[in-house]
Amino acid sequence: MSAPAGRMLDAAFELLDRQIIDGDGNHAGKVDDLELTPLEDGSFVVTAILSGPGALGGRLGGRLGTAAASIFARLHPDEDPDPVRLSFGVVRELGPQVRLTTSRHHLDVNRFEHWVRDRFIARIPGAGHAPE
Amino acid sequence: MRKYVEVTLGVLTAIGGFVDIGDLVANAAVGARFRWSLAWVVVVGVVGIVLFAEMSGRVATLTKRATFDVVRERLGPRFALGNLIASFFVTFLTLVAEIAGIALALQLASSVNYLLLLPTCGALVWVVIWRVQFERMERIFGLLGLALIVFAVAVWRLGPDWGDVIHQASHPAVPHGEGRPTYWYYAIALFGAAMTPYEVFFFSSGAVEEKWDRADLVTSRANVLVGFPLGGFLSLAIMSGTAIVLAPRGIGVDHLSQVALPVAATLGRLGLVVVIIGFFAATFGAALETGLSAGYTVAQYFGWPWGKGTKPVEAARFHGVVLLSILLAVAVGLTTVDPIKVTEYSIVFSAVALPLTYFPILVVANDPEFMGDQVNSRLTNALGSVFLVVIVVAAVAAIPLMLATKAGM
Repeated sequence: MSAPAGRMLDAAFELLDRQIIDGDGNHAGKVDDLELTPLEDGSFVVTAILSGPGALGGRLGGRLGTAAASIFARLHPDEDPDPVRLSFGVVRELGPQVRLTTSRHHLDVNRFEHWVRDRFIARIPGAGHAPE
Repeated sequence: MRKYVEVTLGVLTAIGGFVDIGDLVANAAVGARFRWSLAWVVVVGVVGIVLFAEMSGRVATLTKRATFDVVRERLGPRFALGNLIASFFVTFLTLVAEIAGIALALQLASSVNYLLLLPTCGALVWVVIWRVQFERMERIFGLLGLALIVFAVAVWRLGPDWGDVIHQASHPAVPHGEGRPTYWYYAIALFGAAMTPYEVFFFSSGAVEEKWDRADLVTSRANVLVGFPLGGFLSLAIMSGTAIVLAPRGIGVDHLSQVALPVAATLGRLGLVVVIIGFFAATFGAALETGLSAGYTVAQYFGWPWGKGTKPVEAARFHGVVLLSILLAVAVGLTTVDPIKVTEYSIVFSAVALPLTYFPILVVANDPEFMGDQVNSRLTNALGSVFLVVIVVAAVAAIPLMLATKAGM
């Protein structure tokens, strides 16, 4: 996708809730929400993919959604964090899956994954080897 | 070699998945109480799981997406979350039952109380998930699970009047002294035991993880079409055993040892040894599948990295969910809750939760945008729609019948 900004699609149906795959072919979250920017003519253009609980909370709605978003905000090191944002600059392909050009380890979306890994999983013997 | 491995995947999913603690308990209990009058449900259940697994395997192969990935996209985050909670609850309940089942099988062998064995069983399940490769895991438990064929040998040795058996099975009637609601409650339990959702979570995730492509579709179909009916055959053998040995004596099934009784009575000590090996393999294999499925469902809903084949550090949250689920399952088991009751509830709730995953898969399997030329055939769609009705009716009727019959009392 060289110029995703110029493409027409039903974002609600063709983009939302799809799996994001990073440049190494690994799972890197879902398209939990989209960032829309208004144009002068009153229409909107999708400018970024939002991912993680900060974005999902808003779409879940209700008490549960608020709880998800506030837990995300409280655990986040920043004072008033925005949802994790993936610009279309790192998007290589939009299809049944959204493929990125970079590794997920460079993305903010992996914060919780890294925390669980470093605190718990990596400390268990054998965590660094694939099963035999 | 690869073909051989692929066929074992089918056998494992059939034995460790089709025949698990739920099938052992449900078929034995039904045989002891209703003899062959509910045998038709096993046939319906086999056709249902063949359909469901074939569709989800095909969807997973062509779209590279496992069941919960599809569920999330089709149903949206809110509805899919409710779906996730229900499916996870049922899978977790099944995991409790399977781990307790392993402990009960070892109790039969060692006479050590199963509660003392539970923590070790849980730890063993986790170690196998953590360290043993997918293919090897499948082969070991798939082949060991074939020990359950001893039920068929026992039934053959018991030599029932086959004409009478076929008559009872083909002219189902509510047995004297049993109420109609109880009959249907057990029908739903048996159906839920055959069509447990975790089998499909595991099967479709395995297909994605093993990177199946179009060429594998033939093997996948063969796995399902051979593997599941084989499991159904074993289910019928278990049912027949208790129908011949326990039913005339008015003995019910409220412990795993009673499931083994027909074999022990016919084939003696050696038969008992083989049957215990079969129990162990079936429950252990299913514990692995349910433990992994707990992780698969959550990770696929949230889009986390998941997979059994990669290094655990590469899928930390997935492994975290699996580990926590096993720990919690052992804790629940240690509360001395009756494992047979947990099993019965898990299969009835399986029937309740089934439409939640069946329906999205049926829809996607018909979507040419995803499936190309591999959309459902007319026959699959006709059967798939009939089963949608059956599954919804069973799901809606399950809880009222449970309340009305006091869970089949």
